[in-house]
Order: sequence, then C-alpha cells, then structure tokens
Amino acid sequence: MKVSLFITCLSDALYPRVGEAMVRLLAKYGVSLQFPTVQTCCGQPAFNSGYWKEARESAKTILDAFEDSDFVISPSGSCTGMIHHYPKLFEDDPIMLERANRLQSKSFEFTQFMVQVLGVTDVGASFPHKVTYHPSCHGSRILGVKAEPLALIQKVKGLELVPLPFAEDCCGFGGTFAVKMADISGAMVTEKVDHVLETEAEVLVGLDMACLLNIAGNLRYRNEPVRVMHLAELLYEGVK
Amino acid sequence: MADTHKQWLEELEAESKVKQEQFMNDIASKLRHPRMYDKPNHPFRGAPDFWNAFEWSEEERIQAFTDNFLSVGGHVARLGSMDEVKSFIVQKAEEMSAKYVIRQNQPELDALGLESALTGSSVSVWNTDDEQYWRARAAEADFGIVIADHAVAYTGSVTVLSAPNKGRSVSLLPTVLIIIIPIERLKTRLGEVLVTFDEAGREQLPAGIHFISGPSRSSDIENDLTIGVHGPGIVYALLVE
Amino acid sequence: MAGAKTEATVKARADLALNDEFLRKAVRFTTERLRNGKKKATDEHGNWEDWRERGKQIRLHTIAHLDYYLNLFVNNARANGVHVHFATNTEEAVKLTLDIAEHAGAKSVVKSKSMVSEELHLNHALESIGVEAVETDLGEYIIQLAGEMPSHIVIPAIHKNRYQIADLLSKEAGYTLPPDTTALAGFVRKKLREKFLDAEIGMTGCNFAIAETGSMVLFENEGNARMVSTVPKTQITLMGMERIIPSWSDLEVMATLLPRSATGQKLTMYMSGITGPRRSADADGPDEMHIIIIDNGRSLQLGDPEFQELLNCIRCGACLNACPVYRHIGGHAYGSTYSGPIGAVLTPSLNKNIAEWDDIANASSLCGACYEACPVKIPLHDMLVYLRRRKVESGNGSKMESIGMQGFATIMGNSSRLGGVLRLGKLGQKLVVRSGVIKTKLGPLKGWNTYRVTPSLPKESFRDRWDTLDQELKQGLKQMEPSMQNRMEELVRKRELDEKQGKGGHGHG
Repeated sequence: MKVSLFITCLSDALYPRVGEAMVRLLAKYGVSLQFPTVQTCCGQPAFNSGYWKEARESAKTILDAFEDSDFVISPSGSCTGMIHHYPKLFEDDPIMLERANRLQSKSFEFTQFMVQVLGVTDVGASFPHKVTYHPSCHGSRILGVKAEPLALIQKVKGLELVPLPFAEDCCGFGGTFAVKMADISGAMVTEKVDHVLETEAEVLVGLDMACLLNIAGNLRYRNEPVRVMHLAELLYEGVK
Repeated sequence: MADTHKQWLEELEAESKVKQEQFMNDIASKLRHPRMYDKPNHPFRGAPDFWNAFEWSEEERIQAFTDNFLSVGGHVARLGSMDEVKSFIVQKAEEMSAKYVIRQNQPELDALGLESALTGSSVSVWNTDDEQYWRARAAEADFGIVIADHAVAYTGSVTVLSAPNKGRSVSLLPTVLIIIIPIERLKTRLGEVLVTFDEAGREQLPAGIHFISGPSRSSDIENDLTIGVHGPGIVYALLVE
Repeated sequence: MAGAKTEATVKARADLALNDEFLRKAVRFTTERLRNGKKKATDEHGNWEDWRERGKQIRLHTIAHLDYYLNLFVNNARANGVHVHFATNTEEAVKLTLDIAEHAGAKSVVKSKSMVSEELHLNHALESIGVEAVETDLGEYIIQLAGEMPSHIVIPAIHKNRYQIADLLSKEAGYTLPPDTTALAGFVRKKLREKFLDAEIGMTGCNFAIAETGSMVLFENEGNARMVSTVPKTQITLMGMERIIPSWSDLEVMATLLPRSATGQKLTMYMSGITGPRRSADADGPDEMHIIIIDNGRSLQLGDPEFQELLNCIRCGACLNACPVYRHIGGHAYGSTYSGPIGAVLTPSLNKNIAEWDDIANASSLCGACYEACPVKIPLHDMLVYLRRRKVESGNGSKMESIGMQGFATIMGNSSRLGGVLRLGKLGQKLVVRSGVIKTKLGPLKGWNTYRVTPSLPKESFRDRWDTLDQELKQGLKQMEPSMQNRMEELVRKRELDEKQGKGGHGHG
C-alpha cells in the first residue's frame, strides 16, 4: 500500500510545520507517507485565472508524482479540490483524462482520510484552549468535507469550540482575487477577522493554509494575538 | 379603425409565424437535434413521489392553514355555517363603517342576503349590469367578498378563478378582502390544486387563476414590512363547515 | 455614490461602493435577512436537496427540448387568443412594444417588475414616443424616480434609505412626506391607484410559462402585477425564451423553490396564472394580450456544454444574498441589469463580445456559495472560471498576467526549478523581512499588504526537511491496525473494480 503526501506548494514553501505535523500524526497510526519530490503545485492559480495551458504544465507534475500511489493525502481541501477539476482540465486528452480520473478517486484531504478511511475521530489529543473553526469554502463545498473536521475537533479534550459567526462566508482569499480585487478581498478578510475576534477565541483552526495565511495576515496586521493553526498542527500538538 | 386594427394584428401574426419557425429551427440546430415535434418523455414531471404521498387530516389542514395565514398578517375565523358568515360580515362592515361592498355573483352569496342585511352599505354584485365599468366599482369598494375555489393548507393559500360572474378585481381592488372557504375545498399541498389545471386542459382554464396567501405586502423600504401596498391590506379567511 | 455608472470598471465601481458606509450596511442587512429567511424556510420544508435536484432536472429537461416546449407554448397561447411575437434582440423587442403602444393609442403604461424590461431599457424608449412608463413595484418606482438601475433582483432599492426615499416621493407629491414607511407606502398606493385605472397598457414580466396550456405565471407580494394584468385594456408580457416549464404540476416544484429561495416565503402573497385575454363575457382582464418572447443572447448558451445550464436560472436572487463579494459592493458595482454571481456570468454570456468584457468575471473569490444557494444547482463558480479561460484563450487576457502565468508554468512545471526559486526567495526576502514578516506596500504586494502582512519563507522548506524527517519516522514506525489496513485495501479493490466497470473517478466526496 503506497500512501503519498501531496504537500501543496504553500505548505512546502511557507508552512512546512503543517506537513510535518500531519506526517507525524499519521505515523502514529502506522501510516508511512511517501513524498514524491517531483510534485510542485496543483495549478490552481493558473486554472482559476483562465490560464489552463499553464495550469496543465503544473498539474502534470502532480499526475506524475502520484501515478503509482494508492492514496494521496493533502493538508488542503482547496488543492485536493483542484484535483477534482483535473478531468475537466484534461478533457480533450483521453490518456491524461484517464490519469486524472484515477488520481481524483484516490485523493483525500487530511480530515477526510482520517475519518473516512482510517475511521479515526479521537486521536487522544488534549488542547485546553478556546478555539474557533473556519470551514474553508473549497473543502466544504467542492469536496463536501463538513462533518469530518468537527468530529475530530469535538473529540479533543479540554478544547472549547466557539462557533464562528458567518463561518461559511469566504475569507476573501480566492488566489489571484486577493491581488486583482485587493480592496474587495481586504473588506472580506477584515469582516472575517472581526467575526473571529467576536468569538474571543485564543486559536483559529482551519484546514487550508491559503485561507489561514490570509486571515493570519490580517490578524497580525491588526496586532491581534489570536493564534492561527491548521487542524493537523492542533491535533499533533495535543498528542505530543 | 376596427378594421385597420384587425388588419394590423393579422399582419403581426403573419410575421410572427414566420419568425416562430426561424426561432424554433435555430433552437433545434443549436441543441444539435432535428426539430422535435413529438412530446418528449419527461421523467421528472411534478413534485417528487415522497411529496405526492403526503397528506394531512382535515384538522391538521385547518390548523396549518390558520397558522400560515396568521403568520403573514391575515385573519382567520372558523365558522359553523353560512349564517355565521353573514353575521361575521355584517359585524365587520359595521365595525369598519364599510360604505361600498362588492361581491361575486354566486348563488351562495345571493343566499346570504347581504343587500338587505348591510343597512349602512351599498352592495354591488359583480357584472350584473353591462353599462357599469365594474373595475371602477371594485376600486371604490371598502369590502370585496369572494368564495374560494380551492385552498392549500401547506402554503396558507386560497385560489380564486375568474369567470363572467367572478371578477378578478373583486379580490384585488377593495381595501378589505373577505374570502369564504368551504372547508372541503381545503387541500394539503399546492400540487393537489395545480394538477386540476393540467387535468382540465387548456380550453377549460379561466383567464385568471389567482393564489392569494395573505394581505398585500412589501419590504422595499429599508426592509421594513408594509402591509397593503397595492392589493387589499386586510384579508379575512373564513373557514366554513 | 454607488449608483454611478460613469466608472468604467468593476474595480472602480466597487471602490465607490466600499467607501459608502450606508450602502454596505444596507446590503449586508438585507442579504442577511433574506439569507436567514431562506435557511429557515428550507430547513422547515425539509428534503431541500431532493427539491433542488428535482428543480434542476425539470429545468434541464425543458431546456434540452426547448424547441418542442416553446413551440407548444406559443401554439397554445395563440389558441387562447394571445398575440405572440418574437424578438431576437433588444431593438426588435422595443420596436414591437412601441408599435403595440401606438396602436393602443396609449398615453401611459403601468409596469410590474420585469428583469427583461430592464435589459431592454424600455422606459426611455416609451418616453421617446410620448408614452409615460410607470414602474409600479414599490422598489422599482423608487429607483425610477431616482433615475437608477435596480441593485438587487428581488429588492431593487436596497441601496436607498427612508430619508432619500421620502425626498424622492415628496418631490413627486408636491408636499413634504415624513420618512415613515407606512406613510411613504400609503402615498405610493394612492398615487399608483390612479395610474392603474388611467393606463391603457399594463406590462408584465413572466416568471414561468406553462407550455401545455399556454399560460403565464407571475409571483409577487404587492398586487401590482395583478393590477397591471387585470385593469388596463391591453396587456404586454415580456418573456425570456427560456422561462418555459412543461405543466402546472411542474409549477409546484418551481413554486416550492422560488419564494423560499428569494425571500424565505412559503409562497408569495400572490401567484397568478393567466391564460389569455379576458373571455368575452368577463368584466375585467385585458381585451388584448400580447406576449413578446425575447432571445437577446439567451440562445447563445444552447448547445454550449459549459453554459447551457445558465438558462435554468429562475431569477430568485439567492446567489446574491449568499455572495460575500455582493455583500460588500452591492449591485451597481456589477454595472449591468443583472448583478451578483448570476450577473457576473449572465452579462458576459448574453453579450458574446469577449474583447470588451469588463473584469466582471474576476469579481469573485470562487468560493462556491452561489452554487450552494442556487435552487436549481447552476455551477456559477465553474462558469466564472470558464469565462476567464475564454477571455485568455481568445487573446484578450491582460499582458502582465499572461507573462506572470508563463513564469508560473515554467517554475511549477519542474520541481527542481521550484526548489531553486525558493532558495532565491530566501536570499531575496532578507531585504524586506522585519521581525519575521513582510510589510512593504511596494510592488506586487501593495494590494495584499494594505490589509495584511506577508509571512517570510522559513529556513527550510518541507522538501528540504523531508529526508531527515523520513529517516526519523521510519525508525519507530508502528504497525497499522489490521482493521485500518483492511479498510484501505477494500477501498483500493473497490476503486479498481469501479475502474474496470468504467465508472470513472468519483470514488468519494
């Protein structure tokens, strides 16, 4: 059984600690992750901007990297969600299309893999803090990952989960949207952080480093001390 | 003038029929199929099966209708007979000093004898005189009185159908609308009423089929609910055994 | 002011809206009210996903056989005594309307809410031949007096407060009206009553048209659509060619989806089915009834696998209320008749002038809230991406972005080039990193850093760290529990079986 890590370019470059937490946590269940180093980026920035030729260049590295994997796990609902767009991206190329379909059926976001595949909701973690949770749009809407993260969070001892007002509203990241429509995006992230602050939580937890990069960036810009963590980090810290 | 108007309409129709063929051929070619002249199989017609199996008891229907109608600002009274309906209307007309009342021209309403019972009001009966401009009569009326052809508990709606003796204006233009609902016409689901129009078929349909679910309303000014914008602002649904 | 149409781009118009505190509050309040109403109504009704799916299937089926159903509708409407006309574009629709108005000897036309009529900018055309056009929906009347466009499909005057409305109506009244909703609505009721009774023509839109009986259906709360289709002698109905549903039974599904999605109502206060002009013995209803069926770019979607579903739209506005971008910028920033996510897709799709497309398709973070809210499941977030792709592929993308994306492909097409870039980045950022973050507002980070700080690259990337980590973990690796092992093997077997049976990719999710 070959279980592979799809690190995503963002975690690779900016948040290696998230990948590490995930790898260490899964190792506790005897899952030995492999890391094919030919992977780069899922291609989403180019895909969403309409540059599909360029997106395919990038996506090919992902298809190559996981050709003979049985399971492909990523710490991002958005990047795994992008893999769900591969069949559309390669619809005119029957060989690539078949590879895209195969990759899609074996790709899992981290909490999906934990709950649906391993059948684990209680990792035995303890995290005595006030926490609020932001469900990222692509994970919850494209992959339908809604119950899994909550199941994992609710089993953490000592953790007080405070509901985030308007939790399902987008944080305003949207890839190149944050640059092209900077002021709209800025208004969105400002409102999201207003809601986070309303909860008075010490920690904001999420499943997608892109959204968390955005929210954390605004929190720090406003000198707010709320800690921002990926759920894998939180769980690993809780079992360490 | 009449002739030229008719000629003009005929010219328009001739043009329209040519255009109709172009339109349909263009649609078919864009959909990449030959023109379809036969009824296609429609496997998803109407509501899902589980819904069509859903039915309330009479008491549940009355309760749901009442709750729904009240929740949108309508009024409901449950009355035991048409005599009680008569007293109800007479009392309300006195309370509100209704000067002009208009009603549909139906035997059940004739039988109420409102014309003599409403001493302070002038009662007109829809479309009983060809010389009248009936829309204006309805517009000046304080009360409009109609009988429901159907009612739906789940949405809290009443259905009125137009006919020569049943004006559309009577349920629309007066300030207060009184709808008499014989309880056996109260159904559970919207679909139970809608399907009767499919069953009746085109030629049997009246010009106007109106579902009324309460008083006219708008939230267009600062989301602030206003009752009685264009249609009647006060609506009584009288459920009669 | 958000109503300004002079600004050329979505970005510029959005900036205006973002600086209008009243507008933002009003839009937020309204969309939240409608969104919560929808949630309550759909939860209470139950089985919402089944109803959405049913609604989608009925719309898909009808559009896929539109030549049959539209033709059937037209023939039945004619048999009912309706004069049916066809308009390929706005010019033809306007010409037909003016022709009818002239033959009716009309001095004034009362109109109920119709998005198609907004597409045609009909009021100006009617005024040009001396016919007064009066919008009678309360919100539409207000924005007509203000000379603006609707900023929301369902609540057109969302952007006006009661003081502004009182000013507008006072001007019309010739005396001062208090900024009180009941008083303002009361004035409009009285004023428009006269208009209904005086007008020679009543004009309506059409929510649905029933093919099997040639009937047209209107949903409304105020009663003005009933007025314009009951009182004047002539009725003109403007209808998008895709408004068709096969039967009254299918209307139950639409009547379940539309009011709940639009306003959270179980049904609008009025739902009217009109089948032809008044019967000869009837004492009200129009003597003469016209239906103008309008294409105006709709048929361009037919047969286009990426956009045909756009024609399924039932104009409920739920995507506007769910959209976080709309929530911040309101409707006018979209710069066209239709706003919000549906507007961002519909406007460019109805006008296939790719080269002139505004950046409207870019005004979305692609969060998918619109799709989730849509009662007929139109994948608007995917369509936005297809629009962006079509603009790029037609050679109309931005030059800068195009160069950037070529760079992206070069770096991301090869992992060792990515590694090299990361190493360079670590060197380069030394110039701008202060206490662990980057705050500069120069260059490409300007927009981002106006609202945020940017994290710096850590000492080691994950790929730099992998070998050490891997060696450490391999040493103490536990044996996997047999139950987990079995489940994983079972999943792989099932997947292989599905693949053999040609079921394709969707194993989960």
